[in-house]
Amino acid sequence: MRLGEPAPMKAVINITPLVDVVLVLLIIFMVMAPQMMRKGPDVDLPNTAKPREQGDERGRILVSVDKAGGLWIDDLAVAPNQFGDSLRAAAGDEPDPKVVIRGDAQLRFGEVRQAMVAIEEAGFHGVGLIAKSAGAKAQGD
Amino acid sequence: MQFDRGASGSDLQSEINITPLVDVVLVLLIIFMVVVPLLLQGYDVETPRPSAVVAPVQADEVQVILSIEPTACNIVVPPAGEGLPADCRVTLAEQEIPAAELPARVAEILGGRPADSRVLFLAADDQLNYEGVLRIVDLAKARVDDLTIAFVAND
Repeated sequence: MRLGEPAPMKAVINITPLVDVVLVLLIIFMVMAPQMMRKGPDVDLPNTAKPREQGDERGRILVSVDKAGGLWIDDLAVAPNQFGDSLRAAAGDEPDPKVVIRGDAQLRFGEVRQAMVAIEEAGFHGVGLIAKSAGAKAQGD
Repeated sequence: MQFDRGASGSDLQSEINITPLVDVVLVLLIIFMVVVPLLLQGYDVETPRPSAVVAPVQADEVQVILSIEPTACNIVVPPAGEGLPADCRVTLAEQEIPAAELPARVAEILGGRPADSRVLFLAADDQLNYEGVLRIVDLAKARVDDLTIAFVAND
């Protein structure tokens, strides 16, 4: 086609809008999937003034301490005597696994401290204590 | 959408086609709406270590211990609303101070140290409410952002 010539008839269906819609749906489902399987029990997180960012919950080992003091690793309730082994199994061969504790606001500090001691004994140093900023509605639980 | 009307000189369209722009913006909106609740917020702390393990503090500097006792700070029951009870007192470096002064005192004592030895040891009574303890952690970190909080093994 040379300049100045009229454009030839195009008999092809324009699939651009179709591709747009399909891509949007794909992205929505990709992003929704991890949220559908939100990890762990329902925990009422403590309210504090200015909690720091702890990143995404994917890629963290989520230890939850529920209202009754029961320990959970990600989705599974774990007996205290198997906690260390389960935690190491959850870490797998990740080079630098990061453990975070979601503790219920009603707990006594001692119960969370025992969880921290168990994490330390399993060979992990340092945890993130998860809170939500005061006023924010149910973030991260 | 503009359909090709073939060889007949179609009308010139002088408006910008914003449909792809709107598509992209909507997708970004959806991504952020969905990702934000997945983000976690909280406090990095060091887990209590057996006393034999060397703490990350240089030998020539005094360890700063913050201790919270249920008799001085009544947070055995979960603190109502936000903040701490007004009469809450904590012991920082062997001095009893009101909890409200904690940010300033921690900044004064630890703010001048090199970043890797800004360590505050926290000895909290087991009877205390977890939420109350976290609010004190929040106060301690309020002015010294890269403060390391290390829980003390108290058994």
